[in-house]
Amino acid sequence: MSDKVLDVKNLTVRFETDRGTVYAVNGVDISLEAGETLGLVGETGAGKTTTALALLRLLDKSTARVESEAMLYCGEEMSEMSEDQMRKIRGRDMTMIFQDPMTALNPVIRIIDQISEIFRAHHNMSRHDAEEEALKTLEMVRIPRERAYEYPHQFSGGMKQRVIIAMALACSPKLLISDEPTTALDVTIQAQVLKLIKELQTNLNTSMIMITHDFGIVAETCDKVAVMYAGEIIESGSLESIFNNASHPYTVGLFHAVPSLTSNKEFLYQIDGLMPDPMIVHEGCSFADRCKYAKEACFNKRPENTCLNGKEHLVKCHIYSKDIPYVDVRKEVENA
Amino acid sequence: MYRYIVQRLIMIIPILILVSIAIFLLLSLSPNDPAVLILGANASDLELDMFRAQHGLDKPLHVQYLNYMLGLLHGDMGESYSTMQDVSYMIKIRIGNTMILCAGACVLITILGVLLGVSMALRQNSIYDNIARVCVLIFSAMPQFWLGMMLILLLAVQWGILPPQGFSTIRHMILPWICTAMGGITVVSRTTRSSMLEVVHQDYIRTARAKGLKEGYIVRKHALKNSLLPIITVLGRYVGASFGGAVVIENVFQINGIGNMMVTGLRQKDIPLVMGCVMISALLIAIVNLLTDIAYAYVDPRIKSQYEGKKKKKKSKAKEVSEA
Repeated sequence: MSDKVLDVKNLTVRFETDRGTVYAVNGVDISLEAGETLGLVGETGAGKTTTALALLRLLDKSTARVESEAMLYCGEEMSEMSEDQMRKIRGRDMTMIFQDPMTALNPVIRIIDQISEIFRAHHNMSRHDAEEEALKTLEMVRIPRERAYEYPHQFSGGMKQRVIIAMALACSPKLLISDEPTTALDVTIQAQVLKLIKELQTNLNTSMIMITHDFGIVAETCDKVAVMYAGEIIESGSLESIFNNASHPYTVGLFHAVPSLTSNKEFLYQIDGLMPDPMIVHEGCSFADRCKYAKEACFNKRPENTCLNGKEHLVKCHIYSKDIPYVDVRKEVENA
Repeated sequence: MYRYIVQRLIMIIPILILVSIAIFLLLSLSPNDPAVLILGANASDLELDMFRAQHGLDKPLHVQYLNYMLGLLHGDMGESYSTMQDVSYMIKIRIGNTMILCAGACVLITILGVLLGVSMALRQNSIYDNIARVCVLIFSAMPQFWLGMMLILLLAVQWGILPPQGFSTIRHMILPWICTAMGGITVVSRTTRSSMLEVVHQDYIRTARAKGLKEGYIVRKHALKNSLLPIITVLGRYVGASFGGAVVIENVFQINGIGNMMVTGLRQKDIPLVMGCVMISALLIAIVNLLTDIAYAYVDPRIKSQYEGKKKKKKSKAKEVSEA
């Protein structure tokens, strides 16, 4: 129990806006052990980033309502922590690599200052010591010392992303949340950055949540996978069980939408329709509207987590909870 | 950067020449005759002619202007028609008061305007923010001279806390400072508020929070510095405008400064005196504008590198030309 870095149960996030309530995250469970990497996969708007920001308590308090049954960080309940305790955890024990390196760095502050302020905030270092630490951190992500005194606009996109990684890893965090760390980068740098993150993660024995919509990245970096759809985790399990044994119609569809070098198809599989409006509360399964195998029960009853193969492979689908007749989804999709 | 500053300093010269032409034409073409205004309606034709000849008013307009500008080049700002004193001397003994008035007002505008704006932005849509916004709106709609008179009535006449006129001690300076600064404070605070609100929602502020920095530090170091550009623009404008505002305020509070003197000079069509005052004000405003632009570069490294980039480009161009 105590070696669990993160244990979140039934996390919900709602945004109260002028136009109504947006249900962004609806009952997400996450558990993560030391050194483990969880891949959080899903379409844009599935609630991946919101989940991450809710964990760090970085959502705008005036609109966001975060609730959970449990939100344990190393055995401590996070929702009961004061703002100041939370601040001390952020940046030191729990850090985040942000999605867009172009906007995540402050344009008017030198790179070195943006990193050394982390050490000054968490370790009470003198200015000189903090700068020395910052230089070491930058060397870790292979940014030469003399560039450290420049401003973000003098850096390329890949370098900025590396600076953000350096910031996140500066204090050897216990939990690292990487929010699509490579989407803003081109492919050659993507590989470098991923390798770097993985390397540093192994060296520091950091747990990681890797948010992405790229199955390639998941396969390379993760131990566990959770697939998110409309603010819910609809399928989760070990990397092998998800990749070899994807069961939810949505997950199966996603895998078949990935181009492959071996198959000879002219068109990729396509999941029709769009993500549902997050302002509507679904009585049944949130994927039912787009699901080819949906029956009446799917629209009326919310699917619960069903365990597959006795392992920790969970699926939220009526096909497996035996509320509707069984369909071999993988076979069906393959023949489509 | 230095090259840029020198360029801008040189640019001040044509600006001053244009201002001088405009003011000289306006003054000379206005219908009143300074000789009549100074000597009075009872003066004889001979006296009037002598006055005109003495001050070169009988010569054609362009000759008058060139004579004035030639004098100016030698540091001679001419002689006042009414007091017969050197204009440069008259300005010298009065500019101190005006500078104290404007400098004090600018300090007030900067400190109060920015503080008020930041505090409003941090409490966006709270009761404090809403009340402050209404107050700011009311004060920004108030004419300076009216505010001055009301403050004199209330604080000086009714309550007797502060002296109504003069400019000899700090106590005398408080009311004029407040009146000169009020317009600037309202505009700067509103600009600061909106600029801060925009910055606070930027990604890099979220990054700063994710780093576990203290909220006060984030506001000071990360948010304020980024929202400074529009604030500096408005500040620069109001520092310039406070020289204009001084004209009104110096009259309301009977302060012996340039503004007051300029109004007196205008009534008597004392051309050298008015020209001198306007030229000094124009020079000061031009310098303030230059300082504003330099402040941009100081605050935002991207702008600074633009200036430097220009320099480098020019250099390489020059190289190409010389090589060709």
